[in-house]
Amino acid sequence: MRTLPAGQYIPGHSFLHQLNARTKILCLFFLMAAVIGASSLWGYALVLAVIFLLILVSRLPVRPAVASVRGIYWFLLVIFMMNALFFGGEDPPASWGIFQLSREGIRQGFKVAGNVLLIFILGNLLTMTTLPTQVTTALESLIKPLKFIGVPTEDVAIIISIAIQFIPTLMEETELIKMAQIARGARFESKKLLERAASFIPLVVPVFIAAFRRADEVALAMEARGYRNAKNRTRQKKEPLTPCDYFALAVCAFICLVQFFLLP
Amino acid sequence: MVEISYVKRSVITAVCIGLCVVLPMAFHAIPNGGRLFSPMHIPVLLAGLICGWSFGLLCGLAGPLLSTLITGMPPVAYLPPMLVELAVYGLVSGLIFALVRTKKLYADLYISLVAALLAGRIVAGAAIALIFSAGSYSLAAWTAGYLVGTWPGIVVQLVLIPALVSALMKAKLIPERYSALPGE
Repeated sequence: MRTLPAGQYIPGHSFLHQLNARTKILCLFFLMAAVIGASSLWGYALVLAVIFLLILVSRLPVRPAVASVRGIYWFLLVIFMMNALFFGGEDPPASWGIFQLSREGIRQGFKVAGNVLLIFILGNLLTMTTLPTQVTTALESLIKPLKFIGVPTEDVAIIISIAIQFIPTLMEETELIKMAQIARGARFESKKLLERAASFIPLVVPVFIAAFRRADEVALAMEARGYRNAKNRTRQKKEPLTPCDYFALAVCAFICLVQFFLLP
Repeated sequence: MVEISYVKRSVITAVCIGLCVVLPMAFHAIPNGGRLFSPMHIPVLLAGLICGWSFGLLCGLAGPLLSTLITGMPPVAYLPPMLVELAVYGLVSGLIFALVRTKKLYADLYISLVAALLAGRIVAGAAIALIFSAGSYSLAAWTAGYLVGTWPGIVVQLVLIPALVSALMKAKLIPERYSALPGE
């Protein structure tokens, strides 16, 4: 809890770090589509080559990148088991009640868990090379067209930026309450799973009360300063796309097209 | 019932989005705790109940998205069905809580919660079956993933959320839904 888990921003000056956050989000969508569209060995080879190249270009330290993947092995195992045991298929070699272990299930399990892992690495490349504030500014600009269907995009952006500013405070508050509960006998570090799980429940109510108290104070302060809504808010800094951004977008769109239309 | 101001609803939603990032981090100390206890669902359901459907919807969309961007969890590949599920939780809990008025706070809360939990799971399952994993998703996988695998989370949500709403009302952090009559 004291430090943010792997996947957080790591400062740097690589090509990926310097790309506009809007470009990186759009490129992530293109590459995610390429991963989901991969259905042959060649398709996966292309995606793996692109990810390997991106890791090299990002010049990120290896340890945090590997640590982030290690953190989801439970999750990958659950996904694999769910597909392997519930996919069904003809002539399953083994079955126990509703569980059926089939060859197709195992293949599907590997495919889905592999896709999750590849998309996880791509997502991490975005979050490790982009500041959360840059991401929210980019999201705000990407959701601007929603204004035409009546979505108050400025208010959405303000709410998200307040949420980001609240995260360190909430983490501190949670840690403090956790310490207080330990002093009262809560066993967060217990080796017994049930005991450890039960100790987290009394943590939730005080965390929410403390968080809502802070929200109350902030809302009162904002209203006292005359804040009503975020309409007509201006920005000091404008970040236009550079030729590098257009190049990255064109390459990612091309990879996506190759995956869907040229590869088997 | 006194209405909560637009600014306060915005800030409460922001806090709930922040809690969508912080709470799962605490629960990840338990192996597979994020999936078992679904801690991210609690702030989204609360945002819907307290601030209304539009804020609940926003919390359901922005909470998991921000958590992925900041902590890497849930992984990007698992994000789309989760966005659908949580958005429906926020939307339905807010809508039903605004429509249902039984004059009993706990009855209103439980009706809204159960409706939201069911709707979210059904819509997310339908989205996976029709869009995200079209053709490779079965009813058994849905039952295992959304009911059997998450029953501790469902129990925690049904116990904690009404208690939380009641505690927040007692602490005067949100207005009472049914104010007591004089002399009562």
